[in-house]
Amino acid sequence: MNSSYEKILKSARDLRWDIGGDFHEKIMESLYTDASRIADRAVTHPGDTPRFDLDRTIDRLVTSRIWGFPLMVLLLTAVFWLTISGANVPSGLLYSLLIDTIHPFLKSIFATLGIPWWIDGVLLDGAYLATAWVVAVMLPPMAIFFPLFTLLEDFGYLPRVAFNLDHIFKKAGAHGKQALSMTMGFGCNAAGVISTRIIDSPRERLIAIITNNFALCNGRWPTQILIATIFIGALVPAHLGGLISAFAVVSIALLGVLLTFVVSWALSRTVLKGEVSTFNLELPPYRPPRILQTLYTSVIDRTLVVLWRAVVFALPAGVVLWISANLLINGVSIAEYLVNFLNPFGLLLGLNGVILVAYIVAIPANEIVIPTILMLTVMISGATGVGEGAGVMFELESGLQTLDLLTEGGWTLLTGINLMLFSLIHNPCSTTIYTIYKETGSIKWTTVASLLPVVMGIVIVFFTAQIWRLFAG
Amino acid sequence: MEKDLNKTNQVEISESQAQAGCASCPAHNAANLQKLGVDMENWDFVVALAGNPNTGKSTVFNALTGLHQHTGNWPGKTVTRAEGGFDYGENRYKLVDLPGTYSLLATSLDEEIARDFILFGQPDVTVVVVDAARLERNLNLVLQVLEITNRVVICLNLVDEAERHNISVDDRRLARDLGVPVVPTVARYDEGLEELLAAISEVASGKTQATPYHVKYTHPKLDQAVSKLVSQIQEAFPQVPNARWVALRLLDGDERIIKAVEKGDLGELTYTVENLDGLGVDTVALKSGFRL
Amino acid sequence: MVDPLIALLIGIGVLFASALIFWPDSGLLWRLQKRRELTDKVLIEDTLKFIFKCERNQKPATLESLAGVLSTSQGRASEILAITQAKGLLEMSGKRFSLTPAGRNTAIQIVRAHRLWERHLADTTGFGETDWHQQAERLEHKLSVEDTERLSASLGHPTHDPHGDPIPTSKGDLVSHGGLPLSDLPVQTSARIVHIEDEPELIYVQIIAEDLHPNMIVEVDETTPDRIRFWSEDREHVLAPIVAANISVVPLVEENHVQDIQGIPLDTLLVGEKGKVTAISPLSRGVERRRLFDLGIIPGTEVGVEMVNPGGDPTAYRIRGSVIALRSSQARLIKVDPITEEEQEISQ
Repeated sequence: MNSSYEKILKSARDLRWDIGGDFHEKIMESLYTDASRIADRAVTHPGDTPRFDLDRTIDRLVTSRIWGFPLMVLLLTAVFWLTISGANVPSGLLYSLLIDTIHPFLKSIFATLGIPWWIDGVLLDGAYLATAWVVAVMLPPMAIFFPLFTLLEDFGYLPRVAFNLDHIFKKAGAHGKQALSMTMGFGCNAAGVISTRIIDSPRERLIAIITNNFALCNGRWPTQILIATIFIGALVPAHLGGLISAFAVVSIALLGVLLTFVVSWALSRTVLKGEVSTFNLELPPYRPPRILQTLYTSVIDRTLVVLWRAVVFALPAGVVLWISANLLINGVSIAEYLVNFLNPFGLLLGLNGVILVAYIVAIPANEIVIPTILMLTVMISGATGVGEGAGVMFELESGLQTLDLLTEGGWTLLTGINLMLFSLIHNPCSTTIYTIYKETGSIKWTTVASLLPVVMGIVIVFFTAQIWRLFAG
Repeated sequence: MEKDLNKTNQVEISESQAQAGCASCPAHNAANLQKLGVDMENWDFVVALAGNPNTGKSTVFNALTGLHQHTGNWPGKTVTRAEGGFDYGENRYKLVDLPGTYSLLATSLDEEIARDFILFGQPDVTVVVVDAARLERNLNLVLQVLEITNRVVICLNLVDEAERHNISVDDRRLARDLGVPVVPTVARYDEGLEELLAAISEVASGKTQATPYHVKYTHPKLDQAVSKLVSQIQEAFPQVPNARWVALRLLDGDERIIKAVEKGDLGELTYTVENLDGLGVDTVALKSGFRL
Repeated sequence: MVDPLIALLIGIGVLFASALIFWPDSGLLWRLQKRRELTDKVLIEDTLKFIFKCERNQKPATLESLAGVLSTSQGRASEILAITQAKGLLEMSGKRFSLTPAGRNTAIQIVRAHRLWERHLADTTGFGETDWHQQAERLEHKLSVEDTERLSASLGHPTHDPHGDPIPTSKGDLVSHGGLPLSDLPVQTSARIVHIEDEPELIYVQIIAEDLHPNMIVEVDETTPDRIRFWSEDREHVLAPIVAANISVVPLVEENHVQDIQGIPLDTLLVGEKGKVTAISPLSRGVERRRLFDLGIIPGTEVGVEMVNPGGDPTAYRIRGSVIALRSSQARLIKVDPITEEEQEISQ
């Protein structure tokens, strides 16, 4: 090292001993002293301070003991309701366009061109169908949910939600802002994981990342609703069915919230004990949101980015699924081997081989779980008259038809309940895993975030199954 | 190549005129900008946008660039950045949105990124967006930026909101006190942007010569320590424009700056493995595989 | 299908067994790892450290006390002594043993690694103070000289560990903190805590439980053979002399003390009240402390209580124009001087 450089560093070291440890504080003091002097010279208050402070009035209202929580629940419910009900129509349109219209159209073109059946199968029934499915299910809710969420954020309300909920999250060793990343997770876990960037304390951010998967994302809602309707709703008279099945789905979502707290608590006291933890939360002034700007950026930044990643993962998944259902060894497809191999373990867990295979295939995208389950069930049980052939995903028009098919596949009420539990508590989809890796830059935390929920899920469904069998039959 | 020319120019010309040595050529450090992931092809000047959180920084960014922007991450880090460009006069400007921070003392990843960009990227202009209603808090950041560079324009934003709260800021007084141009704006309604662009171009082209205000440190021991270090630094690195700031960082034990002095390449950006660690998870332990 | 009852029992058994094996800090896996780490190298280094400390405190180092510190038999301890001597790190003269220059260097290197690691744990991780010593005890044997240098650099070459002990420089210089035991402090004098001994842990835990930390100001009210009664910042403590002896203090000059000790905790202010920051307790440290300063919370800053969370915590404060929420655990450490309404009106 150059001697003059060394001299500089040495005198810096020596001088540091002289100055003492509060150096940083002295600098900040000097900075703020000067800042305040300069500001004082430049700032004047020409009129009377207005009596009415709108920001303060809104703040008092949204954080008040009486109105704070009801308002919050109301607003968030409205966002979810708008998302779910608003997404129905475009989802249906996309579905009928991409799957009912374009898919057969492409098939007929391939057929007239005389393209071999297996190319047609891999490309159209595998890759295209899986991707189209994911787009149809995912795009509309995200295109509604994210802009709404961003509008609330721009207005300045979301930091108040974090402020209100910090009291609860603190008890679980987490940050109030986790309320926001969790809510975002109900839209999409990958987006939820990205949104943990707003948490600037490393420990709490890791907690939020690892537990985000317990927020039931929109790729899993359809599974929950379908299974709840045909298995749980069917237990009660028809006019109560809708209510009871809705109640079951909400209970699962709330169980997810409960698990978020429990796991956050445990993580902050064990593996994450050593991560730095700080807290501060700025409550910015309320500002009218810029609607067009928000629409543009949230569609670009959140919706399209997440959708693109999902498509990238769904496409090969479709290919793999089709191949595994169509590549025969000794006359039996790979998928069937796998199903039969996993079936005993699946039954022990109160699930079955089909469900486990579907969840392995569906790691890239939870949206295709139900179509895959139906396809595999038809394949295994040899049911006729439904479905479109091996490796071709489908859904059935009516719940009753689905129930018949599943019952034929050996499903019981326990299978339904355990599927709902397992759909909540299993490994994150590959888009989310990839996002976690990108956000943490650490293989260790990505592994923890991926394996922890699936191990928990297996344990929970196992015990549910045994206790159920012990008492119910 | 360009950078070397700059250096020789500055050494030859007396120090006080160092910046004026080449009035119209860009001041940015192209090699470092490239390392920071900024593509400078087709751009004449690079402008960094700094500011506290919630000062309407992104509104200013959008107002200046329109929708010609893209977002991405800083190399190896998870902090998003927006990049865009605009034309003004005969020149093309690249605008880089830095993370919103309260301070530049590298306490958090965001602060480190913003600091590194201004220090190593040496942007031609750094625009600091300031909330007129919270001037005192915002000036803290401004004063820190002025310690690093004198190519600064203050964008006094949200003056309408300040007026609603009965706060009026004398921008000319502020400009005189800070020694750099101050432009009042309401970015949301595109007010004051023309003046802001003019100020940016004058600083970029070297037409405006700033004599920025420097913080007075009240701690007597600190003052002595700083001046002792400053003379040593100026001797060893005559081309460094912000010796006082470097001295302060050395006293604070800023590892990045210590390394730069050690290697004798103050002004060069060297990314190390540690910095790639997005969450600041303990690096020594990770590298040696220790259980925490 | 397996009988559900049997499956249930097996399931519970598996859960229980894995808890037994993997439970952090007390599971089998952890114990095994700890045992494996207890090699000759570690024992030699601990021996050197022990003798080094004895020499500095001018206490005789005996075989019994060494065996006690290493928690091994006396036979094993003398075995270790023999190896250490053979390596030229130790000299024996009769029953007394002393360090050779090489041995002293190694001991200082270990102490340096230990204190730096504690500093690191305190400043850049979230571990609590009772965890620091234990972890540093293990890490000190694993950090090479280069690791230690790198660690020191990344921490900005700190001068003291979080207990107030000076960190030896890489050249091996070690200055003393120069304090006297709190038990020896005359009544009615105030002093600054410069060091808290972290061994034995039993006493250290007691001191930490009292919320006493380096840089805090204390004032002794009463000293008797069984107890020492004193004030720190805003509350009274009573400690046994043997405990108080593990706290080193440096007496203060009068005017400093008055200035430091004033003020009430920020979290005691009610909505609408204002205060001027007088000090930030040394309990707030590392990143957390820096963050508070960066937010503009420094002595002299005016802080107003804006609103309180419906559950009572956190509270939002207006600080230099911005509304910032802090938890009560943080606000408690910020001392303020309340501003009365008349004062407020005058200033306006």
